[in-house]
Amino acid sequence: MTRPAVLEIRDLRTYFYSRAKEAFIRSVDGVSLAVAAGETLGVVGESGSGKSVTALSILSLVGGSPGVITGTIEFAGATGAGTARRNLLEDLGRYVRVSERDGRIVAVTKDEPGWRARVERALTGVRGKEIAMIFQNPKSSLNPFLTVGQQISEAIRLHTPVTDAGEAKERAIGWLERVRMDSPRLRFDQYPDGLSGGMCQRAMIAMALASEPSLLIADEPTTGLDATIQSRVVALLAELKSEFGVTTLLISHDVRVVSRLADTVAVMYGGTVMEHGPARDVLAPGSEPKHPYTAALLASLPSAQTNGGRRTVDGRLPVIRGEVVDTMDVPRGCRFYARCDRVTEAIRARCLGQEPALATVAAGHRIRCHLYAGETCAETRPG
Amino acid sequence: MRRYREAAGEVAERPERSRWRAAALGDRAAVGYGLLVVGLVVISYVVGAAGWLPDDPSRMDMARLNAPPGAGHALGTDFLGRDILSRLIVGIQAYFLPGLLAVAISLALGAALGVTAGYRGGRAEALVTYLSNLVDAVPRLVLVLLVIAAFRADIYYVMLVVGITGAPAVASIIAGKIQFLRQKSFIEAAHVLGLPTRVIVLKHILWYNCAPLLIIQATLGMGEAILVETSLSYLGFGVQEPTPSWGNMVQAGANYFFHGKFWPSTAPALAILFTILGFHLLGDGLNNILESKSAS
Amino acid sequence: MAARELALTALLLVGVSLVVFVILHLSPGDPFSVLLEGQGSGHAVSTSVREALGVPTTWYGRYLAWLGNMAHGNLGTSIRTGVPVASEIARAGPSTLYLTLGSLLVTLLLAVPVALYSTSRTAGALARALTLAVYLVSAVPVFWLGYVVIYLVIHRFGVFPLLSASAEPARHGWLYGLLPIVVLGVANGTVSEVTRHLRGEIGRVLTEDYIRTARAKGAPVWRHAFKEGFLLPMTEMIAAKIPFVIGGAIIVEQVFNWPGLGRMAWQAAQDRDFPVILGIALVAAAFVRLASLLRSVIYAGVNPRTATE
Repeated sequence: MTRPAVLEIRDLRTYFYSRAKEAFIRSVDGVSLAVAAGETLGVVGESGSGKSVTALSILSLVGGSPGVITGTIEFAGATGAGTARRNLLEDLGRYVRVSERDGRIVAVTKDEPGWRARVERALTGVRGKEIAMIFQNPKSSLNPFLTVGQQISEAIRLHTPVTDAGEAKERAIGWLERVRMDSPRLRFDQYPDGLSGGMCQRAMIAMALASEPSLLIADEPTTGLDATIQSRVVALLAELKSEFGVTTLLISHDVRVVSRLADTVAVMYGGTVMEHGPARDVLAPGSEPKHPYTAALLASLPSAQTNGGRRTVDGRLPVIRGEVVDTMDVPRGCRFYARCDRVTEAIRARCLGQEPALATVAAGHRIRCHLYAGETCAETRPG
Repeated sequence: MRRYREAAGEVAERPERSRWRAAALGDRAAVGYGLLVVGLVVISYVVGAAGWLPDDPSRMDMARLNAPPGAGHALGTDFLGRDILSRLIVGIQAYFLPGLLAVAISLALGAALGVTAGYRGGRAEALVTYLSNLVDAVPRLVLVLLVIAAFRADIYYVMLVVGITGAPAVASIIAGKIQFLRQKSFIEAAHVLGLPTRVIVLKHILWYNCAPLLIIQATLGMGEAILVETSLSYLGFGVQEPTPSWGNMVQAGANYFFHGKFWPSTAPALAILFTILGFHLLGDGLNNILESKSAS
Repeated sequence: MAARELALTALLLVGVSLVVFVILHLSPGDPFSVLLEGQGSGHAVSTSVREALGVPTTWYGRYLAWLGNMAHGNLGTSIRTGVPVASEIARAGPSTLYLTLGSLLVTLLLAVPVALYSTSRTAGALARALTLAVYLVSAVPVFWLGYVVIYLVIHRFGVFPLLSASAEPARHGWLYGLLPIVVLGVANGTVSEVTRHLRGEIGRVLTEDYIRTARAKGAPVWRHAFKEGFLLPMTEMIAAKIPFVIGGAIIVEQVFNWPGLGRMAWQAAQDRDFPVILGIALVAAAFVRLASLLRSVIYAGVNPRTATE
């Protein structure tokens, strides 16, 4: 990576325990990601792939038990000590004990109150100030009992040197203008209930950027909005990206949104990263090298059909056969094996028995697949 | 420190734990205790009605006044030397059948109102809400005293009132459930299948879907009824001395309480405490178990 | 919106009056004539004379006449004492008001800390013990608790708040004012429900999306959760539990010989003095609805959605 990484996640695992089934839901099962300064990393995947939980784990907003259990999240924010990197999950090991069997975690002991206290302390000064996050369902993500202006002003007064209410208000209105909110002065005094979904999302974006964070995490920012509004919000994000160049981690199941905004893309499936590389390489349909899942995902998009008429099957959209992997019952080998249509006899045994490592196939492009595992310097798992 | 351990074996083949086993320990304990109390009450009622008492509740053992639990008297004696255990058992007669009456009225009337409101919606539902508010507006004991003033201090009249005032709560629960089922097109589907309305309502809605809720309401309602009866007896409007009722036993022992003889008042008070506690815990415990399953 | 609430309240009070009317109408004897006579609507005894004097005989006529009198503040006359009910209620009312509000405060003082504590630590042994304790407390017969408290205060601690035969005022008379509030506040049977509701609401609000945003923003969570998680549920509980507290007051006033509406109601029931108990029922219902009205006001003030309705 040429530019320094603002955020580097290594081998993150976030598990949830199901009492009914007495099993772990392995939502995030060894995820490694990195976002370079000024770049937008798009994380794509179906529901249940763990992408949202990954984002929530960064700021320790995960509900449920046991939650984050292993991994490191290194963040280089503009702290008092320059841009020193620190691990947001520091000391996690002191609060968590993990037991494995056959290379698989089967028991976890976690001092949850202790860890919660520790992480609250570690994250003050980070949450909202250096890392800001926006969510899907903007209407329910804003406090219905406070005006939009009050909420943005709160962010300004918490995280910028501004303390005067009047000045905060002016700044807030400034930000509302920048997110192309109509009648910002009017909207300032309105409650979220009186705003449309798109406007609420703009307000949330304004609130997030008002504290001038080093990293913006956008968790499905367009999901839950009408289709026409979606494209407007995407356009806004693109504008803001070129205007402010905020380092962004963008989570979305919508490949089109990601392709429009992301410089780098990570494709997640079943709780891990399957492919990670430059957007134009990963998201170009039909390009090689490519993970079978990414290929199938791109092929199932309606737009793919208009690009030179790719594989329609009897005029119908191709679908990925099989069921999405159940993160409670993760298979031994490759998670995608059951649905993969590019398995060859040569690698079948490996696909079944051993999970492939994230191997580098080109500059800055890594793929987790046995088809490419023999390529240059396969990193030992987890990648 | 919390431990999470994955059970051995394939996840897919694992049978889903029953609602009961997956429930929190506290709820299971609550239900267990509640069932114990209910069982004791029922048994004691039968025992009392049949007259299989350890001692004659009116017999005065002058040699042993205000005796603590001991030989001959499992729970001691009161200020007139009467056996407390026997009196407690007989005291159940005062609230058992009347309580059942109140519960029956609440459920029947509530179900009728609730089904009407759920089916007709709109106006009928507004009516049920209005009735709920109406019934809640007058404190129950005040209403009971009014009935006593207007008629007479008859426990069955009182329980009629308790039953009627408990109906709107049942009605709104059932109406709510019907709304829920309606949203799931359950009712529509049943109609389309040609099931007669009566069958839909009685069998499918009330029995299959509402039964647990109604049971919970019944237990809570019984708890309320016991509270009303004991309060009324305490105030002197219930069963009269020398016939025992838990409320009048506490009242009668009051003077002796202030002279240091706590037991004649405390024994029945503890009986009231643990019995009402049992009904409350049973109702709430069942409610928690029911809700946790529908949440997961 | 305010108008709608007022209309609802009026409708409910009318409903209450109808209910009590029906009860009296069904009761043996001719209580309504007695009632109306007590209100001064007529003094004759026979039907024909009544008709001649224009005193209503039909049920709706009597109901309306009675309502009309009440609208003028005439609640009838006590059968036992001959004193107008309205003035009796005015005399005894403040004592019961003090009891009701004071004990509600005590209930909240118990319930709120327990609810707050339980939200933060759901699994601790102390939290479980507290939950059980709260249930126990809610099942305690309030009359017995009254005896226990009186006994402890007088005999154990040697404090004599109750007026003794001697001429000098009791040294700790002020304590006497507190005891019934504490007893009723603890044992009115609502503590467990209040705790449970509060805890449930706080817990629910804490899982709301906007709280997650507040956390992500680094903002103090309590500030965002306060309105929906605390203020509103508290108001809801206060308004909802007042009837239970009033009911409990009847018993507590017996135990402590407290000169309030509760004791008056008890006496009235003993004497079949239904004008009195009628008046008390209506005043109690009015008070309950007033609390409900206040609750709606607070809801509207806090929640922008309902305010704009």
